[in-house]
Amino acid sequence: MKLNRKYLPPAFFNGSQPYRWAVLLCLLAWAVTAGACRQPSVEGILRIGLPEEPRTLNVWLASDAASRTVLRQIYQPLYEDDPETLEPVPWLAAALPVYDAARLTYTITLRPAHWSDGTPLTSSDVAFTARMIQEFKIPMLSSRWKQVERIETPDAATVVVHLKRPLATFLSRTLEAAIVPAHQWEPIAQAARESAKPLAYLLNYNMKDPVGSGPFLFKQWRRGDYLYLQRNPHYFATGQTIADRKMGPYIEGLLFKVYGTTDVAMLALRQGDIDMFWQGIQPGYVAILNKNPHIKVFDSQKSALYYMGMNTRRPPFSDVHLRRAVALMIDKGFLVDRLLQGRGTQLFSIIPPGNRQWHNPDVPRYGEGLKYRERLRRAYELLLSAGYSWEMPPFGSQGDIQSAKGLRRPDGTPMGKVIILTPPADYDPARAISGTMIQEWLQALGIPAMARPMEFSALIDQIKNRRDFDAFILGYGRLSIDPDYLGSFFESSGDKTRGLNTSGYRNETFDRLAEESQCAMDPVIRHQMIMEMQRIIMEDVPYVPLYVPNMIEAAYTARFDGWVPMLDGIGNRWSINMVRPTSGRHD
Amino acid sequence: MMSLNRYILRRLIEIGISFFVILTLLFFLFHLAPGDPVARMVNPNLSAEDEARLIAHMGLDLPLGQQYLRFVGNFFTGEFGVSFHYGQPVAEIIADRLPNTILLFTTAVILSALAGVWLGKIVAWRKGQPLDTAVTIGALVCHTLFLPWIAMLMIWLFGYRWGWFPITGMISPEIWIDPHSGWASKGLDILYHMVLPLLTLFLVHFGSYLLIMRSSMLETLGEDYIYTARAKGLPEKVIRDHHASPNAALPVITSVGLSLAFSINGGALTEKVFSWPGIGRELVSAVSYNDYPLALTCFLLIAAVVLAANLVVDVMYAFLDPRIRY
Amino acid sequence: MSADTNNRSAPSGAALPEAYWQSAFTESWGVLSRHTIGRIGMILLGLFALMALASFIPPLIDPIYNPMSGVDPIISYTSGPSWRHWLGTDFIGRDIFSQLLAGARIAFMVGISAAFMSIFLGTAIGMLAGYSGRWGDTLLMRLADMIMVMPTLLVLLVMAALFGQLNIWTIVLLIALFRWPGVARVIRSQTLTLKHRPFIESARIAGASHLRILVRHILPNVLPLALLYMSFRVTSAIIIEAALAFLGFGDPGTVSWGMMLQWVWKTGHMFQAPYWLLPPGICISLLTLAFYMLGRAMEEVLDPRMRREDPEE
Repeated sequence: MKLNRKYLPPAFFNGSQPYRWAVLLCLLAWAVTAGACRQPSVEGILRIGLPEEPRTLNVWLASDAASRTVLRQIYQPLYEDDPETLEPVPWLAAALPVYDAARLTYTITLRPAHWSDGTPLTSSDVAFTARMIQEFKIPMLSSRWKQVERIETPDAATVVVHLKRPLATFLSRTLEAAIVPAHQWEPIAQAARESAKPLAYLLNYNMKDPVGSGPFLFKQWRRGDYLYLQRNPHYFATGQTIADRKMGPYIEGLLFKVYGTTDVAMLALRQGDIDMFWQGIQPGYVAILNKNPHIKVFDSQKSALYYMGMNTRRPPFSDVHLRRAVALMIDKGFLVDRLLQGRGTQLFSIIPPGNRQWHNPDVPRYGEGLKYRERLRRAYELLLSAGYSWEMPPFGSQGDIQSAKGLRRPDGTPMGKVIILTPPADYDPARAISGTMIQEWLQALGIPAMARPMEFSALIDQIKNRRDFDAFILGYGRLSIDPDYLGSFFESSGDKTRGLNTSGYRNETFDRLAEESQCAMDPVIRHQMIMEMQRIIMEDVPYVPLYVPNMIEAAYTARFDGWVPMLDGIGNRWSINMVRPTSGRHD
Repeated sequence: MMSLNRYILRRLIEIGISFFVILTLLFFLFHLAPGDPVARMVNPNLSAEDEARLIAHMGLDLPLGQQYLRFVGNFFTGEFGVSFHYGQPVAEIIADRLPNTILLFTTAVILSALAGVWLGKIVAWRKGQPLDTAVTIGALVCHTLFLPWIAMLMIWLFGYRWGWFPITGMISPEIWIDPHSGWASKGLDILYHMVLPLLTLFLVHFGSYLLIMRSSMLETLGEDYIYTARAKGLPEKVIRDHHASPNAALPVITSVGLSLAFSINGGALTEKVFSWPGIGRELVSAVSYNDYPLALTCFLLIAAVVLAANLVVDVMYAFLDPRIRY
Repeated sequence: MSADTNNRSAPSGAALPEAYWQSAFTESWGVLSRHTIGRIGMILLGLFALMALASFIPPLIDPIYNPMSGVDPIISYTSGPSWRHWLGTDFIGRDIFSQLLAGARIAFMVGISAAFMSIFLGTAIGMLAGYSGRWGDTLLMRLADMIMVMPTLLVLLVMAALFGQLNIWTIVLLIALFRWPGVARVIRSQTLTLKHRPFIESARIAGASHLRILVRHILPNVLPLALLYMSFRVTSAIIIEAALAFLGFGDPGTVSWGMMLQWVWKTGHMFQAPYWLLPPGICISLLTLAFYMLGRAMEEVLDPRMRREDPEE
């Protein structure tokens, strides 16, 4: 580039010695001063690492784990699950609800409680919350309140709920939803009603200062960095005893820090920069965490389901024999030992064993404890008797294992390529690699299977919206304790675009049971139905349950301790109420 | 001068058209792709009806043409929509993140340009000597370092092994929630967090500025007026610092302008690794959440900045060098 | 290697005697091999080419050395260097050294094919624009401007995120589609200056078709310039692919260096496994350095000669 000398700018870079020294000095000054100003006192403040930035403080939009973790400290439900028995215990309510079968009503009495701004929490807040969810048909919540006909509030502490029909999950699902303050949300609801798109208005409402009834109240949020909650002086449970526990909180504040990667969060934990990381961690970290005497690793069971789903709508997996053979071939023990490094449980039913109350151990347990040769033999015999044939079967004439080829279906057509869709390895290495392993096992049987990792939302689109696939591996990381999800996964009515019945399973007996179990108010009868439903599913195996990883969590106990482990780990409401400073130790 | 004005006007119109085409292409790219923002929420409580309602709430149920017209209309009236993920106006989110990006990258680019100009000037003066060869190779190595890797290396070395600097984020929340900390300690806290990302960016940018400065300096040294200055018997240092380097630094200035513009996008990698709450990191996560309004607006912002920077550079060239006209 | 392509293109340069090309090649080769930076680039490149070739060996020794699907039956976690695994294993017990070798192959493949495609596109479009002039020129150049302002990495990222994972060849094609405008601009201006040169005029008067003029007379003259861009394009293609893979938007079925870095980062071994973190990054940086050095050396070698031929530039 040649420039005309006439247009030269003033000399910026005239050998500017002072410039350079200024820059160098600045750099030096940073290092020194930054070293000097170490962290100020965070006495009494519990610091929690979050894996992701919370989406929002608007409770109706909050569908992600991070914002729910934060909002759970602010909004409280009427009932909460006991950490040991997993049965609902009264929380904002004073006692378990009274059910009147003749009038189809539930009567709930409230404890004396206040919102964080000092106004009393009354029955009208409960009624308002329910009406709001129904009126605006708020996603995820509206289905729980659908069966409510009307709500009466005879006095400030009593709520009477009239149901349209008996609903078995009313206590465990509906009444465990959070209650919001009418005095804060009513004006917003009114504005939403008057807007063109009420739901959009409500979900996009920028809630800057949520008023709640929980142990903490919102203080400040610097997006991308941290979110700070302070102790709520009006918290109803302080000093009370719930489920034999004397409620705190025993801490002054909660500081949520956002960490982009688990690696960095683990480092922060080891250095005591956070007291706990609110997410399950990979087993690979346990060894290094155990080296630190202040770190306690919690290994809890999880209410989760990781499974391989098959498309029962079309061949080849429309054939139940093939599905059973696939279930036989999958070595769940290998997956748990190898991919989860032993920190997990093999899964044989849809409801995980950690959910002791509802898990049915008495279902067909495909291939449990079998050696490779034995699984292969049984799967081979199963397919043989169902009319499948091979050009070269998996077993030679002397019973030796050989690589199977040319599998044909009972109608004589060759078995086409079978694609197993999985999330990519960076989303969840265990699921992606399970796909590869299952591919190998199926190939041994002569099924030309191929695992294909796919970007997550494209994968869901393929499975739920287009429903064009053979098989896939997915998981539900957090299932409710009440097993009403069992129905939603396999009911015929869920076999539609965006429906939850992704494998397209249809069974009238199952549908009837699912319907009836919803209304079965007798817990014993409902229990029997749920057991039978699990058995039916495992007979037909539209989903092959694979494994449920343990919830591994770690806490730095030099400053705080007293975490309450339960199903799904220590990240729960009880822990926050019980954690207290370790006496006389500061760092 | 008239023709220059006409030239600017023509370029402006061309850029306007380019921007519009980019906007249209991106819109359809986003909306015709498989997957939607709801797909990510796999939740047994989310029924098909709920999903349909959410889709409608995001305005994705309308015919595509109508969505497009609405988007264009809103966009040009400064209404960028509401982020699907955060439920917050896109403009607010960008206003929140953009200053962080600008702070980090402006500092990095300016520091590395100063250093590059200074060292480039010196080595050009000693062309062919061992110092020149060593520095040039060093600059080449810096220039081709793979950015995310060197960032990870910095974190590993300075943050983990030696523990000198913080390795993530932009601030220490402990300082910010403390009502006693003043702006000075907050400012220092930010600076302290900036050290590692800054060092990474400095290493990578510095090399290229040095190389540009060196070759431009060499070219300048062949000019007549340098010979004249030499003939006048001026000291070498004066010729170097007062005659040659101001001229030679010009290409570096244009390059600084362009890399500032591009830094908004190249920042994605740095911001991701250091968890720096800037616009690049936001764009990457918006894309993976299928948050169309946020991702589109971030992208268009980047395109607009780059287009504007190109215009400025073109006009500057046209202004400085009358031979360039097209 | 680039010099090699230079050699092969010689017969097409019919406007100039073949002997000229031969001598030009030997001359520039001579200069190139004496050029310090060029020499370093060549040596590095040779080493990486050896790596890429060697990548076929490990899976033949034992299937556990298959870079993608081979897992060590005993080691199911990341482990440091040992005799069995020279650079250690990754988080599920795959051999890092064989992954590194396979990565070299992918990098060469991505870099060279993307560069070749973008040079081809850029040269064709640049020549066409420069030669046709008027509307064709304006249209093509505005298109080039438009593509030029698109940040390639981000566009690819958006596409990868929206359409599920992209196949490695799709990535190569997309890189090429977004990286031609720079070349096209240069080739166009070169074509513009050539268009009115006497030998083109005389060919036209002699009744040569446009295609013939483009291919036989203009192409040989712009080719050296295009090839000069080749090695810079290789560099940028390798970096883009690596960055894309690093951010988690690469082809999940391929082991590339960027992918390896992503695995270290995402599975949380950044602090625990330096033996896994260092090699892929060093390789990406050095390979791009090699191509970049070669490009710069070629620039210095080719530049004066072009000046000599074309005093107007």
